[in-house]
Amino acid sequence: MGDLINIFIKSAFIENLALAYFLGMCSYLAVSKTVKTAFGLGLAVIFVLGITMPINWVINTWLLGENGIFQTDLTFLRFILFIAVIASMVQLVEMVVEKYSPALYNSLGIFLPLITVNCAILGGSLFMVSKEYNFSEAVAFGLGGGFGWFLAIIAIAAIREKIKYSAVPPPMRGLGMAFLLTGMMGMAFMGLMGIDPAAFK
Amino acid sequence: MRSTNSVMAFVLIMTTLVSLVLAFLQNGLKDKHDANEALYSKKATLGAIANHLGFDYSNISDQQVEDIFSNKIKQLVVNQEGKLYTEEEVAAQGYMDGIAANVDMAKEHKKGDDKMLPLYIYTKDNGEKYYILYARGKGLWDEIWGCVALEDDFNTIAGVSFDHKAETPGLGAEIKDNKAWVKQFIGKKIYDGDTFKAVNVRKGGAKDPLYEVDGISGATITGDGVTAMLKDYLVDYEPYLKTLKG
Amino acid sequence: MADTAVVAPKKEAIKFGKKERALLTDPLDDNNPITVQVLGICSALAVTTGMKNAAVMAVAVVFVCLFANVITSALRKAIPKQVRMIVQLVIIATLVTVVELVLKAYAFESYKQLSVFIGLIITNCIVMGRLEAFAMANRPYESALDGLGNGVGYGIILLVVAFIREFFGKGEIFGAKIIGAAPEYMINTLESTWFGWYQGNNLMVLFPSAMFVIAVLIWAHRAWNPKLVDIS
Repeated sequence: MGDLINIFIKSAFIENLALAYFLGMCSYLAVSKTVKTAFGLGLAVIFVLGITMPINWVINTWLLGENGIFQTDLTFLRFILFIAVIASMVQLVEMVVEKYSPALYNSLGIFLPLITVNCAILGGSLFMVSKEYNFSEAVAFGLGGGFGWFLAIIAIAAIREKIKYSAVPPPMRGLGMAFLLTGMMGMAFMGLMGIDPAAFK
Repeated sequence: MRSTNSVMAFVLIMTTLVSLVLAFLQNGLKDKHDANEALYSKKATLGAIANHLGFDYSNISDQQVEDIFSNKIKQLVVNQEGKLYTEEEVAAQGYMDGIAANVDMAKEHKKGDDKMLPLYIYTKDNGEKYYILYARGKGLWDEIWGCVALEDDFNTIAGVSFDHKAETPGLGAEIKDNKAWVKQFIGKKIYDGDTFKAVNVRKGGAKDPLYEVDGISGATITGDGVTAMLKDYLVDYEPYLKTLKG
Repeated sequence: MADTAVVAPKKEAIKFGKKERALLTDPLDDNNPITVQVLGICSALAVTTGMKNAAVMAVAVVFVCLFANVITSALRKAIPKQVRMIVQLVIIATLVTVVELVLKAYAFESYKQLSVFIGLIITNCIVMGRLEAFAMANRPYESALDGLGNGVGYGIILLVVAFIREFFGKGEIFGAKIIGAAPEYMINTLESTWFGWYQGNNLMVLFPSAMFVIAVLIWAHRAWNPKLVDIS
């Protein structure tokens, strides 16, 4: 259990998908104008990462690996299967949420299609493969990574809401400032690099 | 809206076609992939004796790598009790041809005390011998590994080369990219008399001229990882190297 | 699969006029994928520590963008609406896998260094965005131009960012030392002593610096082309 908490903390803070690897930047920059929308997208990312990571783990280990059911190395199909799983999971989640919880759908629904092309999701799955996690570690990594991304987008949205009242040179307004801010937040997060997550056990 | 059947048919045809194209390509390029993979690690191994090859290592060709490996290098696999494995024993573990270059060290590293250790003996044209040892450990983000070449006193380092899976470019990744840093290891000793000391990567600059090198600023953890992996692995080779000495 | 491209309806002859030129040049300036549309940032940040990796990435993206556009456009009447997204993603993923396999066979060093980021071309929003916005509604020829334009527009920014980061971070261009003290390990190369006092700025090699460089590029681009200024 300690190991899993370890991985959760590591992927949420130290190896933050948004601020240490800069993944999922497109939606991160596009949907961070207000905290409210950022919150919705952040939740959706946690949700989808938490679901797709274990599924992709199963696919990668049992279908594609050399010890899987086909006994051959099928890793060249990895990209296609991963992205297909992500796209269909997103659609499935969308349908289920719409049917059973219209309230949640109203706050989350519009962001779900955006998630398919969020590189944090696919990137998470690919990192999981290259780090050779086992099943429970993959789940912890997915949830931690999603939580870290959630924190990052909330933080930048809050800053962007405030910075609207500042006198920024016109060409830097909006996007330009968002880039600068993300860069600075990234540097701040680099300060967490090298913290031994075992200390949190 | 088209019927579900035609959608299914489209998807089926499409996936079959796509997998066929990819499978075909994968099969066609498989040999080349494997060859590249093998060459890459052989090249890294030679990096440890870059100064003793007699030509500029940075321009080494694939052919030269293969030539050196087949003519001038003897590959052995040993364990930490000083036992020398036979080719059959190594091949029984699933490593092709039972030679050191095919031992999967990522796998062996996880075995702990019972692992196989590759050892390469390079004989220079003038008869001088260099012993290339392997080491693997943990950096900041992920695994780091490398080769250490010893001179035939089994004490003086003739060169090292390191590699890593995911260290930060510009910081931890310098253990591979920064040739000036790697060069510091040359001439360092790993024994003080009979005591095993290995080489220490010291933050803030080396104090001991024989057993320490300068750390990379901003990459303390990776540096500590290098220190730890050298301590762990070099001592594992000690029993076998003693039999060579004696 | 590419030979199906010929099936396009022949309403207009294939020509290269003003409209076609605009398709090609728009993404280079007014509609630049990175500085204006803000798409495909992830890989722009991760692979721009050196020009070599950036160049490989740029070529890969141009290839994927071009062929994904052409193939999707050729199949646009056959693709069922319900599974549109997944079909597009499968096309992109296939092309990216082709890129990965080829790189692994013929440019192994780059393959090792780009690692996970080759796979991330799939979610590079530029490719997906162009398929959805352009290729699904246009003929293969125009789509090809559009894909090429966007791929190149993306690649240019990638190379500019990589140039700034590599030059100031390491004093190198394409791995060759240009400014700063020449390291002693260089044996046969031309030694440069220009600005021998220059110490590589390590910040430039780290991830966050890509953010700063792009921010400054956006500033410059918008100052020079004021109609792009964000008025919201």
